[in-house]
Amino acid sequence: MPHYPEGTVRALLQTDLVTPATRAALEARLTAPGAYEPQFFDADTYRLLQAVAARIYPQPDRETPIALAPAVDARLLRGDADGWRYDSMPPDREAYRLGLGGINQAAEARFRQPFVALDEARQDQIIGLLAEAQAPGENWHQLPQDRFFEELLAELTETYYAHPLAQEEIGYVGMADVPGWQRIGLNELEPREPERTS
Amino acid sequence: MPDEETLEEGVLNPVQPEIQDPLLREILEENDLQADPSRNPLEQPAPLPDPDEVVDCLVIGTGAGGAPLLARLAQAGRRVVALEAGPRHDPKTEFATDEKAQNFLFWNDERLSAGQNPVAFGKNNSGIGYGGSTLHYTAYTPRAHRGDLTLHTEFGEGVDWPFGIEELEPYYEELEQFMGISGPTPYPWDPGRRKGYPLAPLPLNGAAQLMERACARLGIKTSPAANAALSARYYQEGVGWREACTNRGFCQAGCSTGAKASMDVTFLPLAEQYGAEIRLGAYVTEIERDATGHITAVVYEQGGRTVRQRCRNLFLCAGAIETPRLLLLNELALNSGQVGRHFMSHVGMQVWGTFPEDIRPYKGIPGGLISEDTHRPKDADFAGGYLLQSIGVMPVTFATQMVRQRKLWGQELRDYMRSYNHIAGINVLGDCLPHASNFVELSDEKDARGVPKPRVHFTAQENEQRMNRHAERTMRQIWEAAGATDIWAFERYAHIIGTARMGTSASEAVVDPNGRAFDVPNLYICDNSVFPSALSVNPALTIMALSLRTADKFLTNK
Repeated sequence: MPHYPEGTVRALLQTDLVTPATRAALEARLTAPGAYEPQFFDADTYRLLQAVAARIYPQPDRETPIALAPAVDARLLRGDADGWRYDSMPPDREAYRLGLGGINQAAEARFRQPFVALDEARQDQIIGLLAEAQAPGENWHQLPQDRFFEELLAELTETYYAHPLAQEEIGYVGMADVPGWQRIGLNELEPREPERTS
Repeated sequence: MPDEETLEEGVLNPVQPEIQDPLLREILEENDLQADPSRNPLEQPAPLPDPDEVVDCLVIGTGAGGAPLLARLAQAGRRVVALEAGPRHDPKTEFATDEKAQNFLFWNDERLSAGQNPVAFGKNNSGIGYGGSTLHYTAYTPRAHRGDLTLHTEFGEGVDWPFGIEELEPYYEELEQFMGISGPTPYPWDPGRRKGYPLAPLPLNGAAQLMERACARLGIKTSPAANAALSARYYQEGVGWREACTNRGFCQAGCSTGAKASMDVTFLPLAEQYGAEIRLGAYVTEIERDATGHITAVVYEQGGRTVRQRCRNLFLCAGAIETPRLLLLNELALNSGQVGRHFMSHVGMQVWGTFPEDIRPYKGIPGGLISEDTHRPKDADFAGGYLLQSIGVMPVTFATQMVRQRKLWGQELRDYMRSYNHIAGINVLGDCLPHASNFVELSDEKDARGVPKPRVHFTAQENEQRMNRHAERTMRQIWEAAGATDIWAFERYAHIIGTARMGTSASEAVVDPNGRAFDVPNLYICDNSVFPSALSVNPALTIMALSLRTADKFLTNK
């Protein structure tokens, strides 16, 4: 599995290989304040969302993990849509309310504890059940589990891989496109494209 | 404990009223942020149009359906006005090379996706802004084949178009020359064309080279694809010189260089040069008629105001969801019972794999290589056919699609994504038969404007499923021959087609072969909604061809 050096995207952002509009978008994510006060979710539910996100995107390698829950909270507060919704799903706010509640119901049913109180291995068991649409809990009568998991996963994924640090992790430097790309064929790299270290 | 009840109480009231509609929100945000108000037509209210003026031709939508006819009508000296729901952008300064930051290009009003194969919208389909969805189209521009228009004659399934390919060919040729399409000459699957492409093909990226190599081994003919991005600088009337594509690979999230022939750098400036007026941020809500059933005016919302524009002729070019939605909302052209019916979406199966080679999927146009050998496969157990394309992809798009299909999470997910630079895909674009159970309707759920959201029912039928199986088998063979490991398939459906079909009979179609509504003499519809069948090629070039043809028919018949 490829690994890439750290700091590539951050270094490119300091150069004129990146347009001002691109730099603004990426730097806003890099410099987002560490502390985020949830405005849509109450404090407990927000902690639950954080705990779920931490199992879907575990980041033991990072001192400060890329925060994924703020984007969900902020979006739901704004009422943003992305153009469509599964007809079998309730509106997004309701879906998150039911889905996160359902995750807690599953934790209670399996381990008699709320999700946030479980150790990582048990949290993973609950997420695993959800991923297989096997999680217990009465909320799932009102919310298709597979669709909720898919939507949650897709939303966290969009936030994670839009972050410059995640882009460094996968060796993506497509944002540095001001001069265009001349070497585009197989195994052809330009000097600003990082080579894998392993 | 956030169970259902306590969570309900714990949810704070939003500090602002909920604005679900992205356009409205964008307008509000832009009003706050716009540094230079003179650039933003929404900042300073547009002058109200003369309430007595009757515009000759009013056009709703500035995408592939609306823009070409807007230019044609303006060039013919008509007084034309276009209503565009979104704003105008300056791609060079405003477009970021960042997928998430570019979400404003998509029609993000919520649609409800129903059926066994719910269709994804947003970034997958419709667009908003000066240029419509061409702002984020991939700019694949293959021509339809003769047989695409005669499916019923050939297979006894689907429907025939009311005219043959010879009606479209002059327009294809005109469009290819006008927009500067890059492609192979002669075209391997249609070598007898009168004129070749004006520009040489764009270079092949890693995914395209892998597909080329494997197909050669398997005896499948391939070619660099036809693409509406420039392989060399090109002079555009009404615009000036457009520069060659820099291979930044970002076509689906907006071209910042003007190399891609979206409508904002081609037909719309041309139309404006000939006097067309384009009103931005104009969201149409009502279409008014007189006692004889003629359309008399269109009502739209712009910058918080309600505006009425009178017109002699209306061209509805809002795409295969918003077009039937407006017709249904206004109870227009409903006599045939076909409005909203026969929604189609292309078979768009993708196959992905991991390679030892360095691919860097963000470089080069996404679909560099094409094969149309599968247009009528010898071993097909289905009607119609498909084409094959290589695909490069941006990381966020790839990752979100991948997790929807593979449901990876945890360390496994991060580990898989580390191979991003070694991943390449191929996909198909296949015909989809019209079926009665696939349709668009108005739901009971309202959007922020109080307008019913559209619900789109789509279930891939037997023919599509058979094509999916054939396509997946073919693509897996190709990717195995190319040396891929960890191969996986993603069943998806692309483009929105049908819902206001064209035909020869008023009882079976919404518009006649000239694009005019049977029920409403001064209503023309021109976008992907009028397609009687889906075609086995990407639709944009054919939408533009129909647009020019509709304008010519209108001008001739008047």
